[in-house]
Amino acid sequence: MNAIEIKGLTKNFKEKQALCGLDMTVPVGAIYGFIGENGSGKSTTEKIICGLIQKSSGSVKLFGKEHTDPDIRARLGVLIEAPGCFSNMSVWNNMMLQAANLDIHNAEQEVVKVLKLVRMEGAAGNKYKNCSLGMKQRIGIAMALLGNPTLLVLDEPINGLDADGMRIMREVLINIAKSGTTVVISSHILGELEKIATHYGIIRNGKMIKEMTAAELNADCRTYVALQTKDLSRTKAILSCKYSRVEEDEAGYIRVFDTVTPEEIVSYLYENGIVIKEIGTAKIGLEEYYIDLMEGK
Amino acid sequence: MNELNFKSPTFFERLKGMLGVDFYRLFHTPMFYIFLGIAAIIPAMILGTMGMENPQTGATAAPLYTNVWHIIAAEMPLYVVKNIADYAHMNMVFIFGGIMISIFIGHDYKSGYVKQLFTTHAKKQDYILSKTIVGAFSMACMCVTYLLGAVGAGLFTGISIKINVSSLVIAIISKMIMSLGWASLYTFLNIIFRRYFGVSIVSCFFFGTGILIIGAAAIFGNSSVLNIFLYGSSVYACLSSNIITLLVCLVCSVVWTLIYTIAGTRILSKCDVY
Repeated sequence: MNAIEIKGLTKNFKEKQALCGLDMTVPVGAIYGFIGENGSGKSTTEKIICGLIQKSSGSVKLFGKEHTDPDIRARLGVLIEAPGCFSNMSVWNNMMLQAANLDIHNAEQEVVKVLKLVRMEGAAGNKYKNCSLGMKQRIGIAMALLGNPTLLVLDEPINGLDADGMRIMREVLINIAKSGTTVVISSHILGELEKIATHYGIIRNGKMIKEMTAAELNADCRTYVALQTKDLSRTKAILSCKYSRVEEDEAGYIRVFDTVTPEEIVSYLYENGIVIKEIGTAKIGLEEYYIDLMEGK
Repeated sequence: MNELNFKSPTFFERLKGMLGVDFYRLFHTPMFYIFLGIAAIIPAMILGTMGMENPQTGATAAPLYTNVWHIIAAEMPLYVVKNIADYAHMNMVFIFGGIMISIFIGHDYKSGYVKQLFTTHAKKQDYILSKTIVGAFSMACMCVTYLLGAVGAGLFTGISIKINVSSLVIAIISKMIMSLGWASLYTFLNIIFRRYFGVSIVSCFFFGTGILIIGAAAIFGNSSVLNIFLYGSSVYACLSSNIITLLVCLVCSVVWTLIYTIAGTRILSKCDVY
């Protein structure tokens, strides 16, 4: 059984079609990285899953039941955009209100537990409006974790987090996924997503263009030869004469994406009088894979 | 993996939880106490300044009322307003209540709380009922502070306090009962205009003034048919009230609450929440 199964989902906002027949499958226990450009339909899809907006057509099933089923809704943990907190209330009171909405009986212990999970127990007495952006995101995650949800839907949860905050978030999400909770997480910080996601879905213009597991992504990611020389522009020009895809990256390395070994390149450049400082093979990451996919490479 | 089994709370458990949250918010927001204060000050000001001497001319204005309790309700149900005295009584509480409910619900949307709420097991019907009950409670409380303000100021004016106590009590209780119907109307208006806070407030104010019924009465006369409307029944709860008045107010309030709750639930269920 899948945690989420979406088929032919469409959503129209007046004349604009935000989703055009989106299909999406999220297995139980997965950390599903939901990737796409701004305006591609990620938030719209998540809002439909969470019941905040109505779908125009298609089917959305959560754990085999309709997404509107109240039994299922009671098991959702959600952070869409920013947490819905009252700015003049303390973090604690906001958490307690959500605990009451969820009908959690041992509310105080639960709130303490989730605040500790996101290392926010020290800020419980702070007014929400006085919290930093990173703190608010962590509060939002804590709120989503209230009541041990079976499905967690997080929209850009790591935005505004510092390095430590991201590490904490990573640990939290990996741990809760281990306990069987399914996590759908959308983010533009692909490097972070790559560290935790077990499955990926790439959306573009309201359509799912690719769904894959982390292992499939790894297999799909192309290998390239990266090298550094004293004269990068000349090296690039020489390599471009022989190889079809030669690029220079921001770190000052030349990458050759053709099927070629480092030995072949060393030999070719030696013939052309270029001395190599450093050479090796590497694989492109999620970010580059995504960019390549978007650019149709 | 085996099929997962979930258990969601019952209607009463859900409503209890939501009412707990809304009442907590109500009692912890200064706005509620400010509106209680306004409800007390307005009748006190009207009665207190009545008959004051003009410092420039030395003339004393004709008193608005001949009896303290006219600030609570008119002697007879007068749907047509001839002067400000016919209008300035406890029904003003329903205007304050409308503005307060607009701010209260508007805050749900502004803060994103509805988004947090509707992604749980909460149902649209629970939300509307909870806001209606909390709004009705607020207006009933305002009726009490209005009464206290009126009685306090009335003692200083020296005008007549003679009244048929049972009629007065029935009138006040009837108006408090009408709070429920008014709260459901305001909740409904706020559901319709949920994305436009300003329009919500203006619409609540507009309907709260009862201008439509006053207009209808001006055209069609002082007919008791108008009692089927919220403003009509609110006016019907006057100083000559009896048990029939109480029943009319109860039926009108409950029926309109049902209508607005069903209509509001349908709208909220068919539209995007956030």
